[in-house]
Amino acid sequence: MKRMGLLLCICILLAISVTGCWSRRELNDLAIAVGLGIDKVGDKYNISVQVVEPSEVAGNKSSGVAPVTMYQATANSLLEALRKMTTISPRKIYIAHLRIVVISEALAREGIGNALDFMSRDPEARNDFYVVVAKDAKAIDTLKILTNLEKVPAVRLFSSLDTSEKQWAPTMAVKLDKLISDLVSEGRQPVLTGLRVIGDPKIGETKKNVESILSPADLQYSGLAVFKSDKLIGWLSDEEGKAYNYINNNVSSTAGSVNCPKGGKVTFRIIRSDSKVKGSMRNERPQIDIEVKTEAHLAEVQCTLDLTKPETITTLQKLAEQKLIDMIDTTIARVQQDYKVDIFGFGEAIRRSNPKAWKTLKNNWDHTFTNISVNVKAQYKIQQLGKVSDSFLEKMKEQNGVR
Amino acid sequence: MPENGKISIRQFTILVMIVTIGDSILILPNVSTSFAKQDTWISGIIALLVGLIAVYIFSVLGNLYPKLTFILSIQKILGKWFGTLMAALFLIFPLITVVEYTRELGDFITTEMMAETPILAIQILFICIVIFAVRLGLEVIARTGEIFLPCIILLFLLMVVFLIPQAEFEKLLPILENGIKPVIHGSFSFIAFPFLELVVFLMIIPYINQPKLIRKGFLQGALLGGIVLIILVAMCVLVLGADETARTIYPSYSLARRINIGQFLERVEAMVALLWMLTIFMKCTFYYYVFNLGLAQLLKLKGYRMLTLPAGLLVIVLSPIISPNITYYNKLLAEYWPYFVATCCLLFPLLLLGVYFIKNRFKRSTET
Repeated sequence: MKRMGLLLCICILLAISVTGCWSRRELNDLAIAVGLGIDKVGDKYNISVQVVEPSEVAGNKSSGVAPVTMYQATANSLLEALRKMTTISPRKIYIAHLRIVVISEALAREGIGNALDFMSRDPEARNDFYVVVAKDAKAIDTLKILTNLEKVPAVRLFSSLDTSEKQWAPTMAVKLDKLISDLVSEGRQPVLTGLRVIGDPKIGETKKNVESILSPADLQYSGLAVFKSDKLIGWLSDEEGKAYNYINNNVSSTAGSVNCPKGGKVTFRIIRSDSKVKGSMRNERPQIDIEVKTEAHLAEVQCTLDLTKPETITTLQKLAEQKLIDMIDTTIARVQQDYKVDIFGFGEAIRRSNPKAWKTLKNNWDHTFTNISVNVKAQYKIQQLGKVSDSFLEKMKEQNGVR
Repeated sequence: MPENGKISIRQFTILVMIVTIGDSILILPNVSTSFAKQDTWISGIIALLVGLIAVYIFSVLGNLYPKLTFILSIQKILGKWFGTLMAALFLIFPLITVVEYTRELGDFITTEMMAETPILAIQILFICIVIFAVRLGLEVIARTGEIFLPCIILLFLLMVVFLIPQAEFEKLLPILENGIKPVIHGSFSFIAFPFLELVVFLMIIPYINQPKLIRKGFLQGALLGGIVLIILVAMCVLVLGADETARTIYPSYSLARRINIGQFLERVEAMVALLWMLTIFMKCTFYYYVFNLGLAQLLKLKGYRMLTLPAGLLVIVLSPIISPNITYYNKLLAEYWPYFVATCCLLFPLLLLGVYFIKNRFKRSTET
């Protein structure tokens, strides 16, 4: 009997202590933040969070309210601002499901380092969201735009960046840990993708934006922001962004066109691309060799080409190789002249191959980088032509000639 | 004898392996990488070699008096009074280690998972289970190890396989960037945490039913555990990079957080965390058992079970005392702990061996 009593006591004690209810948080006590914008106002941070409106996202019915809501607060630090939001929000902001963090260009020009520490330190924050820079806009304004196809704008921003990186290549999906490792690396400076609002932001903030077929306002990724340490110093265009991704082996698929020998254009669908950056020391001087191997399918012909001949393919491959090399060369030259920072990770490449030489080089790397000689090699392989061989354009022109 | 159980050599090997993995799985990548950077895996290989030599020395020591536990053989070798004193001093080692493990687990859970739960609540629950396990005796501990092993291996393999897509071999380069020195420095903790701490296994030498196979089992267990740890630190560097591994307090957990297969198999880190909960629990239980058994033998008690509860109180009270905050604790781990362990677990056994052989030669020369 005594034993039974003791067992019962233990059971009750265990039931109380092992249920894990100590700091429990019910789902309906949390405001799930999916987007976070960081602006700076004077010395303080203005934080805006996009919070999911649960009743709007769940199920198929919607009552006409916006699918997300936004809270903002200004404080000395990120956590203070997030906690201050409870004065407006009925629930505590929960950041474990963040999809995107938008940093305003103004703040990026001042330096992003301080704002990022919280994100890397807080155990609630996971490193699986993307970081982007709002181009010519405040971060809060980009998070106000309603979007179609994906109800939650932050999720749409996440997927759009993901897809555009995979299918179009000029953008770069950067997660926090990659950003931080670039920030601390001596041989590579970070880049972030730019996000801008196109169209009329006034309408974009209202429900009207998603009611019409062509949204009056939308969010678009464009260009790569170049950083020197943690300060934004300029932008790369889409074409340069693509070259950047070619160099860094970050192109999984994209489309690109070259001029035909006799005028007109031919377009390729790049199926896969693999690139290697090798650093070495030649005559005491650093030397970078870039080798890009690309496999492409012919996708679109807008000129006269005899695709039945193997030589045509060889010519096309040569043309495409040359174009790729030119694109990479001009991009590197532009960064060397205009920005003078090593965003390509050439320093890392030197460090990997010759750590001894790197020890002396790293002290003056930015300067060395501007004069470094880069040797680009490209290998283009065109394997498929699509469903047809010779284009119907050929036949069409012949007939037009006869008539 | 306070312990009447017997365990098989298989159970012994498994126990050695799990204890080798122990808490090292959680804290070692950070400590070792902060010195050796991307060359931690080389540190690991050096450590494995040195560690196996150390384990060999332990087995030599264990063979001297196969019928006696470590505490009793200390007394036998060093004489009654001095031996008792040294044995009592040695017992501080398992005690402090148990305190350290409960602290580690508490720190880990309050940093990464349940930030608002008082660390004491976690520690008390943990030590309760440990006490419960120790009271059941060596046979049960060994069998628990056998039951946990498939679970540990499965979780570890899942973690490694799921992370392979994210591994970048470039992160291992350049090899030996700053020469061999930092690599050696990084191997100190790699030798101390998993391998040198194995000395406590000398306490259960008499309870293994095939004494001849002890050396083989000991080496096998340490080797398997060491390989697991080397794979782990290599994964940390391959996925997180040396810099992030050295900056993150619990790199293994960050590693588990990275698991993301096709956007649906993600956020499984709590499941993977079970892996080190199990290994830390086993290591802690074993050390706690050793402490209680050793104390009972030192005090010539009939059983050790009555010691388990008061010793548990001691552990709970000591855990906030060993370090006031996590910075202090990490510094302690990285800079002092390897030397403390080297003193208790390498110098001391070597001293014992030395004394034993000198005494024997002296005896032989007086006999002839």
